[in-house]
Amino acid sequence: MLKAHIIKKRRDLLVDVALELEPGSAVGLFGASGAGKSTVLACIAGIEQPDAGFVQLNGLQLFPPSLPLHRRALGYMTQEPGLFPHLNVSENISFGISQTLAATAPQQQWIATLRNRLQLDPLWHAPAALISGGQARRVALARMLARKPPLILLDEPFAGLDRQLVRELIDDLIFWSRQIGFSMIAVDHQAEVLKRLCPQQAIVLERGEIVQRGSWTELYRAPATPLLQSLLAPL
Amino acid sequence: MTAPRHWIARSGAALFALALLYPFTALLARIGQWQWGADVRGPALASVRVSLLLTGVAMLIIIAVGTPVAAYIARCSTRERLWWQAILLVPILLPPLALGILLTLAFGPYGSIGAMLEHIGLHMTNSATAFILTQVYVGMGYYVLGAVAAFDAVPAILQKQAALLGLPPLQVFLRVTLPLSRLGLAVALSIAWVRAIGEFGAVVVTAYYPSGMPVQLWVNLQSFGLPAVMPLLVVFLAVALPLPWLVHVLAQRNRHA
Repeated sequence: MLKAHIIKKRRDLLVDVALELEPGSAVGLFGASGAGKSTVLACIAGIEQPDAGFVQLNGLQLFPPSLPLHRRALGYMTQEPGLFPHLNVSENISFGISQTLAATAPQQQWIATLRNRLQLDPLWHAPAALISGGQARRVALARMLARKPPLILLDEPFAGLDRQLVRELIDDLIFWSRQIGFSMIAVDHQAEVLKRLCPQQAIVLERGEIVQRGSWTELYRAPATPLLQSLLAPL
Repeated sequence: MTAPRHWIARSGAALFALALLYPFTALLARIGQWQWGADVRGPALASVRVSLLLTGVAMLIIIAVGTPVAAYIARCSTRERLWWQAILLVPILLPPLALGILLTLAFGPYGSIGAMLEHIGLHMTNSATAFILTQVYVGMGYYVLGAVAAFDAVPAILQKQAALLGLPPLQVFLRVTLPLSRLGLAVALSIAWVRAIGEFGAVVVTAYYPSGMPVQLWVNLQSFGLPAVMPLLVVFLAVALPLPWLVHVLAQRNRHA
């Protein structure tokens, strides 16, 4: 279970967000650009330090004091896939797996499943620096899932991809959330992406604060602010 | 770039190269028969060995000490980093002769550290140790400043991503930071090498013996005149240039890969 209260001062914004997430559940953080969504995610991941508050994951205190990134056991993916350009696709995917674990049959089976489901076979030995943006996101997703983290944080990981690929990646994530049982927090400024990825619950941020939380149906039926109403309105 | 502009740019670059290499036309100057007899050749080849071997050792020390220091500086706050950069610039800015004098006074037998080192058998003047020490002082600043720039060029998000994938800091450094900065580090090392192997002012004070190539050039000039300088100069270019040039060739290849 994730329990977090993030307080972080930006130059023109005070982010103050508290949230709880049951194991295996998913929540979408929704809001306009600059609302503080990515800051919340980065603070939970440990990429940024909150100024105050706390973060606990399955009883493990991530903050304060700040737990080193390598002990956090969570997955974090942004629109920048962050592949290691000096390694090939296969090496990127098994990057976070110890050699001992990688040699075990269940782990090899798991990597093979990821490889097949994400259609990585033709890319398997390609240099990571030479694959397309869409392929890189698939590799980044496989790399994140290879370690079966209990919590994954997605910061607009599908930005700039075509709709077909986004649909496939979302289906894959839903498939694996059931397989692995990870919790998920996703950030996006496109409601339809979040609604599909985290259909149960959403949290809406405006100027660093939660202005509404609940199901997508509630959000559409009674948006708490004019800005939210405008963000949810069809083009 | 259009064709005429390209040719103008290329001509300008060619003129620049000609101006840069112009002093080397002096190798063709009428200075008499070049001397490469046994009395010149023996000490000259000995100086080549001294320069290559001892500068090589100095480079190993520079890598071993300078790389972790550079990795530390690259992660410092801006304020602290400015202090470190000032410290690194001091031996670079100092006239080499002055650096040689300071090194001799600081590490020679007159100072407490020098006396202590002398006591354990390390002679800090006119010795291989003195030569290496001087090369380290001369080249370290160049290497560390270059290495900091190389580490800075590695995107921080890749290092954080590696840590989130479960790698402790040392592993992140070895598996991500180091491989991604290796070309920058190689260039930094090549600059340190060029600077150190050509060093004269500081070395002539601290380690006249064993003579490296620059000091031997001076000795040849004093003892035999220009005809004994030119062949050693050619040897100097032949042995000192390949390493840094190779580094640049590799860097270029990687750029176009």
